[in-house]
Amino acid sequence: MNPSTDDPAPAGTARARAAKRRPTPGKRAIDRLDALLGGAVKTGLWVWVAMLVVLTVWVVVTSLKTNGEVFTDPFGLPKSPQWRNYRLAWSVSGFGQAAFSSVTVVAAAALLTMVIATPAAYVLARVNRRSADRIITYFAIGMGIPAQALVVPFFLMSNDLSTFMTDWVTGWWDDRISLALIYVVLSLPFTVYLLTMYFRSLPTEIEEAAAVDGAGPTRTFVEIMVPLARHGLVTALVLNIVALWNETLFVLIVVGDPQQRTLPAALLELYNTMQYTSNWGGLFAGIVILVMPMILLYLWAGRRIVQAMTQGAIK
Amino acid sequence: MARSVGGVRGERDRIYVPYLLPALLIYTFLFIAPAAVTIWYSFTKWQGLGTTAHYNGLANYRAMLTNSVFLTAFRNTLILVVIGGAFVFALTFLTMVVMREMRGRAFVRSMLFVPCILSPIAIGTAVGFLLNPDGALNQVLSDVGLHSLTRGWLGPDLVFKCIIAAVVWISTGFYVAIMMSRVDAIPEDLYETARLAGANRLEQFRYITFPLTRDALSTGAVLWVIGAVKTFEIVIAFTGTAGNPPIQARSAAVEQYLAVTGGVSGTPELGSAAAIGVVMFLLTAVLVVALRRLLRSEAVEL
Repeated sequence: MNPSTDDPAPAGTARARAAKRRPTPGKRAIDRLDALLGGAVKTGLWVWVAMLVVLTVWVVVTSLKTNGEVFTDPFGLPKSPQWRNYRLAWSVSGFGQAAFSSVTVVAAAALLTMVIATPAAYVLARVNRRSADRIITYFAIGMGIPAQALVVPFFLMSNDLSTFMTDWVTGWWDDRISLALIYVVLSLPFTVYLLTMYFRSLPTEIEEAAAVDGAGPTRTFVEIMVPLARHGLVTALVLNIVALWNETLFVLIVVGDPQQRTLPAALLELYNTMQYTSNWGGLFAGIVILVMPMILLYLWAGRRIVQAMTQGAIK
Repeated sequence: MARSVGGVRGERDRIYVPYLLPALLIYTFLFIAPAAVTIWYSFTKWQGLGTTAHYNGLANYRAMLTNSVFLTAFRNTLILVVIGGAFVFALTFLTMVVMREMRGRAFVRSMLFVPCILSPIAIGTAVGFLLNPDGALNQVLSDVGLHSLTRGWLGPDLVFKCIIAAVVWISTGFYVAIMMSRVDAIPEDLYETARLAGANRLEQFRYITFPLTRDALSTGAVLWVIGAVKTFEIVIAFTGTAGNPPIQARSAAVEQYLAVTGGVSGTPELGSAAAIGVVMFLLTAVLVVALRRLLRSEAVEL
């Protein structure tokens, strides 16, 4: 409902009349309440932000403490910063290995997703056929299917793939390859959808000019459209990197060898041994190792991430 | 003759199939088809690799309606979607009332978004440490003389409430960002007029902001449902995977994870895991369709 059509009188006179109206006592009480509420919410928001900052600082500080200090003085500063927590987390608790797995699996999956999704999104955005609209909807459906509907088949398929490759083809297999392939499949619907919307927002004149100059469609796509869509492509890439970096469920299900698992799983693994090892400083160092790359990515591309996640969502 | 605009279209039609096919085939055969196969698995009893699947009809679904463990997991997931959602959107609306004219709003907005891009495992591990029985929160409470308020926060009685609170705390920033990006598009003079007419902030929200952001609300609510039904990481971060998480803490996704892996000592139940997946899909679909109906409104054009 449009508020300006509520009042049948012309807007100008309504405004003037309203401005002259004296506030009744009841109205004034409501206004006071309103001001009070406004102040409370603003304060609440700042408290919320402060909690975030304090929690982050506390995690970093705790990661530099000895085990004793973690418990005896949870909110104090360490006597001397224990950088060895990081060294030990990296080498002994396997975060170095896990970081390697995370970086390679996420990079390979995110790039392969782009290679497969970009050409598809381009033609879906540009071809005027009824089938294109239907296929876009078909991809959009995938965004609403929870990954849990795929857990059992992916678990079985990755096992079969591993056995098949080991017995018949290569003689070995690395579950991380299966994991990367699963990530590509899971990222595909969202990426195709987002990029289709992005290509639609680009002007068509440039392609037409290129065609007049005699460029074929493949050359137009590779040499003109991909560079032109750079901003949207990088955004999609970054969004997939964020999602895959934090993914945990399929790592736990598909990758059997704990040594080959990615960072979130390595952190869980270490957390589970805490009651025996009580290596609390190392645990918090692990949290920082897992979280820091995303914070840096956010500092670099924060506005772009927020924009794509929210506006991509609305369109 | 130089290629006409129609010619461009014709050229593009030639690349339509080859450009589209890889994505379409992968999506169809590795996403849609496996999802469909899950339905078939859900009618079987299958105790993991090396054993065979036996058709057993609706037994997995019947078990879900009678077994208290499954029922708790689904009730928890539903509570999280409904109660958690109510909190998320209540907080989002409150923020929308004041954020437009708040000092430092860009900073607050970008800070609130940060938890959405961080691993729930990392957040859960850090917060879980604070909430432990002998953790920092209880320590602080007894230090300041509020010993009576100390609790086993992650014990069976409270753990799911803590999980809901954590999910709300993590995800609200995302919905604030969605709604505020729509609020940004509302012309300032509408608020100007309202202020001249003596409308306070709540009235401005009621008559301007809320009606003009209905479509974003509908999208946001759908995204919330899709995300909340899948809640998994924060639960295992709070409870660990060393032992099975306590029944009171489990969401449907956690229950499924235990069914696939067999939990700590049990046998996998792949058929039952598949059935959980199917029900989670149906739950998502029903809630999304219901929300779309509920929040449908004629588009407001400015």
